[in-house]
Amino acid sequence: MNIVVCVKHVPDATADRKFESDNTVDREGVDGLLSELDEYAVEQALQLREKRSDEEISVTALTVGPAKAADAVRKALQMGADKGVHVSDDAIAGSDYLGTSLVLAKAIEKIGSEQKVDLVVFGMASTDASGGVVPAMVAERLGLPQVTLASVIESQGDQVRIKRDGDTATEVIGATLPIVLSVTDQSGEARYPSFKGIMAAKKKPVESYSLSDLGVEASEVGAEAAYSAVEEATARPPRTAGEIVTDEDGSGATALAEFLASKKFI
Amino acid sequence: MTMTEQQEGTTHAAFTESEERRELRQAVRRLAGTYGQEYFTRQARSGGKTTDLWLDLGKNGYLGVNIPEQYGGGGGGIGDVAAVCEELAAQGCPMLMMVVSPAICGTVIARFGTEEQKQRWLPGIADGTETMAFAITEPDAGSNSHKITTTARRDGDEWVLSGRKIYISGVDEAKNVLVIARTEDARSGKLKPCLFVVPTDAPGFEFQAIAMEMVSPEKQFTVFIDDVRLPGDALVGHEDAGLVQLFAGLNPERIMAASFATGLARFALDKATAYAKERTVFGDKPIGAHQAIAHPLAESHIEVELARLVTQKASALCDAGDDMGAGEAANMAKYAAGEAACRAVDRAIQTHGGNGATQEYGMAALLVASRVMRIAPVSREMILNFVAMHSLGLPKSY
Repeated sequence: MNIVVCVKHVPDATADRKFESDNTVDREGVDGLLSELDEYAVEQALQLREKRSDEEISVTALTVGPAKAADAVRKALQMGADKGVHVSDDAIAGSDYLGTSLVLAKAIEKIGSEQKVDLVVFGMASTDASGGVVPAMVAERLGLPQVTLASVIESQGDQVRIKRDGDTATEVIGATLPIVLSVTDQSGEARYPSFKGIMAAKKKPVESYSLSDLGVEASEVGAEAAYSAVEEATARPPRTAGEIVTDEDGSGATALAEFLASKKFI
Repeated sequence: MTMTEQQEGTTHAAFTESEERRELRQAVRRLAGTYGQEYFTRQARSGGKTTDLWLDLGKNGYLGVNIPEQYGGGGGGIGDVAAVCEELAAQGCPMLMMVVSPAICGTVIARFGTEEQKQRWLPGIADGTETMAFAITEPDAGSNSHKITTTARRDGDEWVLSGRKIYISGVDEAKNVLVIARTEDARSGKLKPCLFVVPTDAPGFEFQAIAMEMVSPEKQFTVFIDDVRLPGDALVGHEDAGLVQLFAGLNPERIMAASFATGLARFALDKATAYAKERTVFGDKPIGAHQAIAHPLAESHIEVELARLVTQKASALCDAGDDMGAGEAANMAKYAAGEAACRAVDRAIQTHGGNGATQEYGMAALLVASRVMRIAPVSREMILNFVAMHSLGLPKSY
């Protein structure tokens, strides 16, 4: 079985995130890492390989992004993925979801031209753009069923069954491979890369593709081709000091209730 | 430290750690961060243990990074296991047993154990399920390990061990203890050091906790060894090479202690600088804007960085097999790190003002642990003696 996990290199959410002058995310000037939500996708792919250890299962980590994005692939390799693919091309910068999904779909097709891809795994969304739509778009482009937002994944043969937790009900969805799957942060804690994994990752193969390798025209992607553009970005205002209710004469509870009522919490 | 990136001319090796070492640090930092000081002190104050964290480290392969791969380890060096120890402490989880189990016992057995001994002991040390303590210090010997009196005598195929040890870390959490004893030389009658693996549940083996002021789930023990019978293969390595074997474990011990101390110091400085950036007392400037606060923290940062550098040098020499060269650097590292840690914790407490003495801020909880780093595993005075004699060629003073 051939599994492709799509992973994204995102700016570290705990650091100071910035925009470039053209209002795209600054991906060079800040520390980046493998999107935490994508770690769950890597974990599920690895668990599937471990649960079906009697089969030959290969896990490929795929990323699209500038040079530093290779770190996301390496992290996935450290966790246990077998090989990596890094699509990098200056023309991709500023792509919207449609552009990104096109590049990913073409890359998955190229991976599949050597060995058929049975399963594409995504995290539920990226931690920077938070769109959560790319899995569906890639599924559409590949002509595959999309089975998204899975919290529990079970598989046997070519059958996959997932649980999707909604606000009012939990759905159980069955599908036949090949499919595009996205998993939530409830699907199981992602493993840490072991020391052996860190050392082994160095020797695992990582292929680099450019747009021309994928047969994608530069005009189809990038900021120019994007349907949406960020016009303006404003830094979040600094947190203001809260209101402190001092209770000296027993009126504290009333003051608290009044405050909550004024904000329509009660 | 990578020593492979030699540059042209007379310049030095690069002073950066390899990418893998840095990634190992990052991974450990993240895991340890999910536990943190709160977990560590809560366990310590409630009489609990840090077994969860220990086994988690083992499961992820961080405990046994220095153990050879064929015995369940990561196949790395002392520099790698020291990085794990430092990052744990830097997240508020200083683990003494890191120093003892993988670094001292793991190194000694991996280097001098028989094939059977390696297969028997190393996998459990690597995954944390069979932690091994280390017992050298004795009540009447102190820093003078030549006066060790714990004695092993032959009885047929077996050994019979008797003696007393003090300040032995984590005996209650260990399945076995690597005990330094002496055997009687058949020809000269002189006693020579030997290393034995002793199960903590062996008949005649008893231990008592020493009440310490240190806030740590890992306890210190007095150990009573009363005619403990051991199989012949409890002796690690060769009977006649005891001293060499012992010293092979002591460089890692000093490097690990130094890493424990610099990690502790980094933790204290991180907390202190975060506090100094937030805390405002006069006007709207944080206290960190005042040089009386900023300069001591900057000084400590420099001291810690210097100590880390010599620690990495000692690790690199040790991993390159230069035991003698590593000896001097490892002693210097332990000295520098102990001093730097004490000063860093002292300054972190001062930065916090009254809050520095509370349990909530966790700074005073570091006092004894940092102070111990000037004493153990070898006192600063003994290191100064060593440097005076061996580095400077001054006469022996004791």
